[in-house]
Amino acid sequence: MFAEFVDGPFWYFSATVFVVGVVLRLFFALRLGTPRPLSRPRESASRGFIRTVFTRFIPRREFFPRMRLEVIAGYAFHLGLFALLFFAAPHVEFYKERILGFGWTPMPYWAFIVSAQLAFAGLLLLWLRRVLHPVSRILSDAGDHIGTILVFLVMLTGCLALAEFHDSLRVLHFFLAELLLIYFPFSSLMHTFTFVLSRGYLGAGFARHGVKA
Amino acid sequence: MPVDMNVMRGFMEQIQQLGQMDVPSERPDEERVDTAKRVMLEKLDTALAVDLEACVHCGLCAEACHFYLSTEDPRYVPVRKLELMRRLYRRERGPLRWLYRLTTRDITMDDLEEWQELVYDACTVCQRCSLICPMGVHVAAGVAGMRAAMRAADLMPVEMRFVGQEQSEKGSLFGVGSEEFRQAIEELRASGLSIPLDEPRADILVLSAVTDILLFKDTLVSTIRIMNHIGASWTFSSQGYESANFGYMAGDEEWQCAASKRVYDAAVACGAQTVIVAECGHAYPALRWDGAELFGKPLPFEVLAPAEFLAREIVAGRLKVKPIGKQKKVSFHDPCKIGRVGGVVDAPRVVLQALGVDLREAEPHGVENLCCGGGAGNFLINRGMPLRQKAFELKIRQYDATGADEIVTSCDSCQMNFMAGSMMHQWNKPIEGLVALVGQNLA
Repeated sequence: MFAEFVDGPFWYFSATVFVVGVVLRLFFALRLGTPRPLSRPRESASRGFIRTVFTRFIPRREFFPRMRLEVIAGYAFHLGLFALLFFAAPHVEFYKERILGFGWTPMPYWAFIVSAQLAFAGLLLLWLRRVLHPVSRILSDAGDHIGTILVFLVMLTGCLALAEFHDSLRVLHFFLAELLLIYFPFSSLMHTFTFVLSRGYLGAGFARHGVKA
Repeated sequence: MPVDMNVMRGFMEQIQQLGQMDVPSERPDEERVDTAKRVMLEKLDTALAVDLEACVHCGLCAEACHFYLSTEDPRYVPVRKLELMRRLYRRERGPLRWLYRLTTRDITMDDLEEWQELVYDACTVCQRCSLICPMGVHVAAGVAGMRAAMRAADLMPVEMRFVGQEQSEKGSLFGVGSEEFRQAIEELRASGLSIPLDEPRADILVLSAVTDILLFKDTLVSTIRIMNHIGASWTFSSQGYESANFGYMAGDEEWQCAASKRVYDAAVACGAQTVIVAECGHAYPALRWDGAELFGKPLPFEVLAPAEFLAREIVAGRLKVKPIGKQKKVSFHDPCKIGRVGGVVDAPRVVLQALGVDLREAEPHGVENLCCGGGAGNFLINRGMPLRQKAFELKIRQYDATGADEIVTSCDSCQMNFMAGSMMHQWNKPIEGLVALVGQNLA
């Protein structure tokens, strides 16, 4: 009964909340508009927009020693999660069966284990920093912790489900993933999409002034 | 001609007296909060909204902020300065406002009073935090909006308010208006300098600054010598001579527009194709990057920072300087508003190379340089002095490590802050302006 609910109506509901919520949050920010700059630029703003979206993946050498832990943990978590999300065999199967109608080659089991370990280690380190560092502690709100806990639980149940091959674990994993989808548009997890715009606007502004941001 | 430290002390005393002239606002708190919120909402554009949506509260921006680095006080983490804007965006403009109105509290007068220190005393709008943020959040843009909101709620520091009002209403700064400027020019003429003033036609309009008239007279004299040396068609204007724009720093668009309009009108009146601002950090972005936006059309003239102009003339071979030699060990302090904000980083180095000095680059330098702590009008805020001086300790360490005997910069505010810092910390590292250095070494 619960499995049918999770696999059926609740999936459609959570996917709808996710898509509509993300679109609305982006739309409400974009509709505010940005004044068209009139001063003579030193460099193309569009070029700066695109450049900063990519260059910001690598921290500046000046700052790296002060952000080593965050960079390494951040990359471990995000790369691990990306690999799990798009290349774990059950996920590829899910995209093929339920969403896209086609699939791709999944990663082997050992790669799944490595990705999961990276993602867990990264997430835990980032969360520990959030809790222990006075700066991130003063900034963090309940939403940040809820997001972290949900992602952690989704990853944990996903790993257990794959290791144990037990349907109840799969249902629990899917249910938590659906909760995460619902929570997503209400949270700072939105940075998954908004980072492109925030980096881009910054890069565009700096490029007009002739500075590579 | 070194700066007379007694004049410098007198100038600082004038600033201290401003701090004692505060009178409490007579408007009810509710009205002030409403006005602040309205201004914040006006400043909320897409770029700022996506910044507020993208921040993941990692706090890395603190690692780039001179106020945090010097105090390790988490209150000063840059992005926290936008917290009220974030709250307001979520409650008033975001798609989930119905939810956030239930779950977050509205902005109060207590909030504004707490944030007043954060967006004035503890932020020089230097933009260094934007370089470290993994999400590319432009904190300074939000702080500029917050300053405008504070101004609207009568929460601008009294020193900035008085100086800004004086510039807007009287057209003078620290008592120096058109007449005082004309007198200063007459005094210099009496010493034998040829100085074009209020010429009906000129290719270049050269601006000055109150600091050059009161304190850094060597910079003013050097400016005149350099322009005459080049043989350019140039003029000062007694109606539009002031580079400083306190409206830009205070977040008051009306004041900013009034100050820029005087320069604009003076440039148009003499048909200038080029306007050279004084060595006044914020003056460059205020006119170069904000001028066109203020007037709603591209400026009919180019705007140059002094370093930019000097480098251009040196490269073109019109400005010839005597090499000083490698015995002069200098380090260059990139002013935030000229370097990181203005985009003028290579030009001062071209000039120093032509002067043949031993340039000892500090780490960091260029667009990543640490702010001196006095920018964006902060030099005026008396109560911010202890925090500013704490941040200045970073500058001392930075330049002591270079082995340079003196520091060169291209911003009067930075120079004043360095001088104040030197006095406070008994730090014996002279600082001089780039224009003055060139003016003393013309071939």
